[in-house]
Amino acid sequence: MHNMSRRSFLKGSSLLAGMGAISLVGCGGGATPAADGGSAQAAPDAAGTIMLVNEGKLTCISNMYFPPFEFMDEKTGEPKGFDIDLSRELAKHMGLEANWTKESNMGFDTLVPTISAVDYSDGTAKGKADIAIAGMTITDKRKQEVDMSDPYLDSNQSLVLRKDSEETLESLNAEGKKIAVQDGTTGEEWARENLPVADASKGIVKLDDIINAMNGLNSTTYDAVITDLPVAKYQIETEKNYADLKVAEGIPTGEQYGIAVSKSNPALLAAINKALKEMVEDGTMKQLQITWFGSEV
Amino acid sequence: MRAAHSHRLGRLVIACVTALVALALLPSQAQALTTEKATARPNEDGGTGVIGGMPTRLTWEGFVEEGEAITSVTLTLPEGASFDNTTTKVTVLDDLTRIPNDATATPSGNTITVQLSDPAKEGYKLRLEIEGMAFPPEGGDVVVTGSYESAGKKKDLAPSKPIATIANTWLQQMVSFLDAQPWVQAWNQNQFLGMFMKPQLVLTSLFSLFPGWLVCLGIVVVAYPFAILLGLVFALMKISKFRVVRAIAVVYINVLRGTPLFLQIYIMFFGLPMMNINIDNNVLGVIVMAINSSAYLAEIFRAGIESIPTGQYEAAASLGMGRLLTMVNIILPQTVRRVIPTVTSDFIMAFKDTSLLSSVGVMELMMFSKNLTSVTGNMTPYVTAAIFYLIVTLPLIKVVSTIEKRMAQSERGGGPRPKAKGKESGAEADDAATRDEAKGAEPSMVEALSAPFKAGTGVFGGVADAR
Repeated sequence: MHNMSRRSFLKGSSLLAGMGAISLVGCGGGATPAADGGSAQAAPDAAGTIMLVNEGKLTCISNMYFPPFEFMDEKTGEPKGFDIDLSRELAKHMGLEANWTKESNMGFDTLVPTISAVDYSDGTAKGKADIAIAGMTITDKRKQEVDMSDPYLDSNQSLVLRKDSEETLESLNAEGKKIAVQDGTTGEEWARENLPVADASKGIVKLDDIINAMNGLNSTTYDAVITDLPVAKYQIETEKNYADLKVAEGIPTGEQYGIAVSKSNPALLAAINKALKEMVEDGTMKQLQITWFGSEV
Repeated sequence: MRAAHSHRLGRLVIACVTALVALALLPSQAQALTTEKATARPNEDGGTGVIGGMPTRLTWEGFVEEGEAITSVTLTLPEGASFDNTTTKVTVLDDLTRIPNDATATPSGNTITVQLSDPAKEGYKLRLEIEGMAFPPEGGDVVVTGSYESAGKKKDLAPSKPIATIANTWLQQMVSFLDAQPWVQAWNQNQFLGMFMKPQLVLTSLFSLFPGWLVCLGIVVVAYPFAILLGLVFALMKISKFRVVRAIAVVYINVLRGTPLFLQIYIMFFGLPMMNINIDNNVLGVIVMAINSSAYLAEIFRAGIESIPTGQYEAAASLGMGRLLTMVNIILPQTVRRVIPTVTSDFIMAFKDTSLLSSVGVMELMMFSKNLTSVTGNMTPYVTAAIFYLIVTLPLIKVVSTIEKRMAQSERGGGPRPKAKGKESGAEADDAATRDEAKGAEPSMVEALSAPFKAGTGVFGGVADAR
């Protein structure tokens, strides 16, 4: 089941820059077939080319219900958030422009399949987007499907309860408890793995987005929510409706967010990692963290 | 009195013994590296179990006690388990803060050794996530043991709490069989086929989606009779003589038809609990579907009733029938026949619309396939779900088209028309025709329902009746 093989051959090394691809000399990988589930790093190739879905643009996808990382502006519907700003800075550092459209908003569970489905077989990128940036934890399982960039932020899980609730992680692992999580997230994985009794009695409710989970907790439909700590904190601090909710405890998982890139586009991955490093060095990353979290994380 | 006294004495003795035992145990409990937990990710498709012999992820957490500096940890599983071809994520944490550490993991058979670049100090938490490992195929409770190295000294780890695993099922064995087939591998090499029609996933998802399909069917089958009743009530209200009654029906129908079902679901599922009305998700699903469909059905019924020619009312009146009698005995039975195709179409819509309930956590077909897709990162479960939907909708679509064909035929005046013959002959035949008519006025429900399937019955509706 895990050894999903994917066509990952690149004819790319001799690509022309004009064919919807820009050429970045010296920071790319060429035609290296990535082995099954492998970690084979593409060898640097002088003629490594970045293949992009839209020329000159870094086209992104995300799930826009994950504040403060990505959400839509209440008035304009424009995408906003830490990840959005990060992508814009990232693109700038790569000499590109971040491309966010109305179509950039997708179900979280479809992000990885969408990125891995982009077709690079004939040397051009045919697909929906170049990268998925969505507060996505780097996991070995995701790395079997797509490449993940170097981590750009540390995170943890958290247990969110109503203020009057006495539940603990132990007491939640029982029949009849309803724990809301977002579908396809590490929070869901954590809940299923650590609350098996609740899971066996269908007590772990997987929802499309975390807003639904928080609303459901608020309205007593669910007993608890398990989600990423920064998201839970931000929601409860900024959203007036959640005045009755609390972050009961942080769950140390030490996970790290990364950007998902197709396995068939090693040049893009290398360029992103380089840009991320530059952003740490020139203080852009620090600035972004201060903007969105009030302090450096 | 004496008895009570000895009880107290007994309790004292027990307390003393407990304290002694606790004291004796205390030093040995103070492990330098305490096993906090060992858990495994469920790897049963659509289920919650941990299956042996199948790849999964083991998560082990240990807490570094006082005065120790852990440099390496070795985990051991029972014979038959495998750490081969695994990738390991090592996280060192100080409460919620990540401590940078470059660790290397060396798997070998049923043991794995993790070497830390910097020793983990006291108060740190060590978290190992070993992706791709497999528990023994025979299942059972698995305890993680092992050892660790602290300041050059090697010590044993306290055994973890057991992880419950289950034996490899025949379904999983089938999957392993498919995994090994060359044609399956070739098939999956094709990006499209591998992404949408992966044979292994088709097989497993057929089984794991089945309960969701039953829930879908259950919801719509239970909801629909209520929807029909409600719809009929509102249809009759809408053609009522009283303005107020009409107004109520119009508001009900227009609001429900004019807003998306999705929105109605949200209002009901998130709104009712806020008013402290807690209803089981499935029951609430039935209620939402019934209410939504009733509005559409009301319009269908109203149109059906209004399409019955005035001649029918006049004929009934000439027989001395009252308004209610006319409606129940003459108009509604004819309406039933006319609305069957549209009602069936609406049923199909309602069945498909149950998928919207997945967004609020009802464990129906769409929900199951979404979960499976997010776990596997593959679209095949959606395709399997499509098959499940089609199993229900295709026959119904066929039914609708058959009925429509029959109706069109009888509207055109095709097929045998026994009544027409009766009108040509003399007075006696006329009498017979009247009797026929009288009998026809009270058709059973079964007749009414089956009429559309019989070729050219021509009893109800149609041009012939308009005369």
